[in-house]
Amino acid sequence: MTRLTRALGTVFAVLVGLFLIAPVAVTVASSLTTTSYVTFPPQGITLRWYAEVFGKPEFLSSFVLSAGVALAAAAISAVVGLAGGLAIHRYRFPGRGALEAVLSSAFAVPTIVLGIGLLQWFAQMGLASSPLTLLLAHLVLTVPYAVRLVLAGLAGLDRSAEKAAAGLGAPPFLVFWHVTLPAVRGALVGGAFFAFITSFDDLTVALFVVTTDLQTLPVRIFNYMQYDYDPTVTAIGTLMVLFAVVAVVVIERFVGVARLFGADTDHK
Amino acid sequence: MAAVGRLTGDQVSRPANHPRRRTGLLLALPAIVIFALLFVAPLFTLVANSFRTQTGAFTIGNYARFLGDPFYREVLWNTLKVAALTTVGCLLIGYPFALYMRGRSPRVRNWLALLLLSPLLISMVIRAYGWLVVLGPNGPVAGVLAWFGITPPQLLYNDTAVLIGMVHVMLAYMVLPLMGSLDRIDPTLVPAAKGLGASGWTCFWRITLPLSAPGMLAGAMIVFSLTASSFVTPAILGGPKVKLMPYFVYTQATTTLDWPYAAAIGFVLVVVTTGLLLGYSRLLRRGRGEVVFG
Repeated sequence: MTRLTRALGTVFAVLVGLFLIAPVAVTVASSLTTTSYVTFPPQGITLRWYAEVFGKPEFLSSFVLSAGVALAAAAISAVVGLAGGLAIHRYRFPGRGALEAVLSSAFAVPTIVLGIGLLQWFAQMGLASSPLTLLLAHLVLTVPYAVRLVLAGLAGLDRSAEKAAAGLGAPPFLVFWHVTLPAVRGALVGGAFFAFITSFDDLTVALFVVTTDLQTLPVRIFNYMQYDYDPTVTAIGTLMVLFAVVAVVVIERFVGVARLFGADTDHK
Repeated sequence: MAAVGRLTGDQVSRPANHPRRRTGLLLALPAIVIFALLFVAPLFTLVANSFRTQTGAFTIGNYARFLGDPFYREVLWNTLKVAALTTVGCLLIGYPFALYMRGRSPRVRNWLALLLLSPLLISMVIRAYGWLVVLGPNGPVAGVLAWFGITPPQLLYNDTAVLIGMVHVMLAYMVLPLMGSLDRIDPTLVPAAKGLGASGWTCFWRITLPLSAPGMLAGAMIVFSLTASSFVTPAILGGPKVKLMPYFVYTQATTTLDWPYAAAIGFVLVVVTTGLLLGYSRLLRRGRGEVVFG
């Protein structure tokens, strides 16, 4: 009886695992097909569709735009997240409660609503679409995660270490550099990488902010998909998955992916 | 010792209170500016615009139109239906999966959590595209069915496709809070009940299930509201035939160019989803658990 339930459990878990990896596995596999349409299992093996990707200048320019905006979003989120996290954790200042409330409600406001709000607000301010407006929009998506991770990092820091360093005569800057910063380093690296993939992968907000001559990679793919069903998209998809895998390995190494989503997987 | 530390801390900080407040404000300033200008202001604009006509006069007509039009009432109903079905789907797959995870070593659990979260870390366009291939006419599902001599039914561009795609992304949001609840159950309860003669099923129905209710509820709330407001996955897998609110926010804003109406639909969506989430997180904070959504 117990052996049977165990076996059933394993079968069930394997099925769920297959379900979870199915779209990615199928995308990666069918990017190798020699047919001019997408099919699984792939027929034959070719890297033709990868060559095709690099032969399309519009995909390359979209990649450069997406990567540039994502890098800037990652760097700015890390800095703003560190400063904001420190302020919320350590100081009392006017607007602290409001800032905390806004940051936590940012997780709950639908991205599509944010997208249309930004569209109307930018129009009202007379701001034309540019990489800058895209970056600004993405900061709203990424900064709350950065702050959340920094706060988690600071919560784990024993303040007596800072007091000891200060008591032994270290000036505030050195205390920060040698004691505080190392405690949140993981949070900063993880937060920055997460900001990078969030910005790099965002489609919902970008759809509202971009124009026809300013298309991020996801927008480009989304538009391409409406008309073409050739395996080029599967090749790009595979490349983006590789990108994400690198980011995930780094995040997992520094903070743990689950913590990013607010879950606590540490077990007593 | 701690009390002494706090006391000296206060003594030091009280005369220097103003500079400390200033430092805090200065550090928080970038975040405050970003969120005031790019989050609060756009949302206020949106609400304000939803009460305007296209020419700018005040009206409540956009809301009256949404609630008065049977077509849009059906859109609202369908949005709630798909979100509810996704929630049920996540619960049916997620609960046994959480139970399975609970019995594994911490290492395996970590890998399983990563597996669950992997759909969230992959570009949503690519993920949805992958489902187009999986469920498409040349995909593995159609292939397996054909092998058994079954003509594959239309798997794409309907509610079922959206449901499959949504359960796939949302599963983690159900399982992780559920794990939190299951982990908090006193591990001696089940053996104690068994010692008193309860069967495995009784233990499950009378102990595990009721005690994991908070996690189920948290997961259900998050899954429901995130599903109701997602746009990309339903748009790609369901197409225009699957009528959901986010799709109409998008088309009203970019194709029809009726911004006030798009704003009104968006705001109804916020009330449905965010209201639910914020209300729930407030409940949680008043209780004990941590808020788990993202």
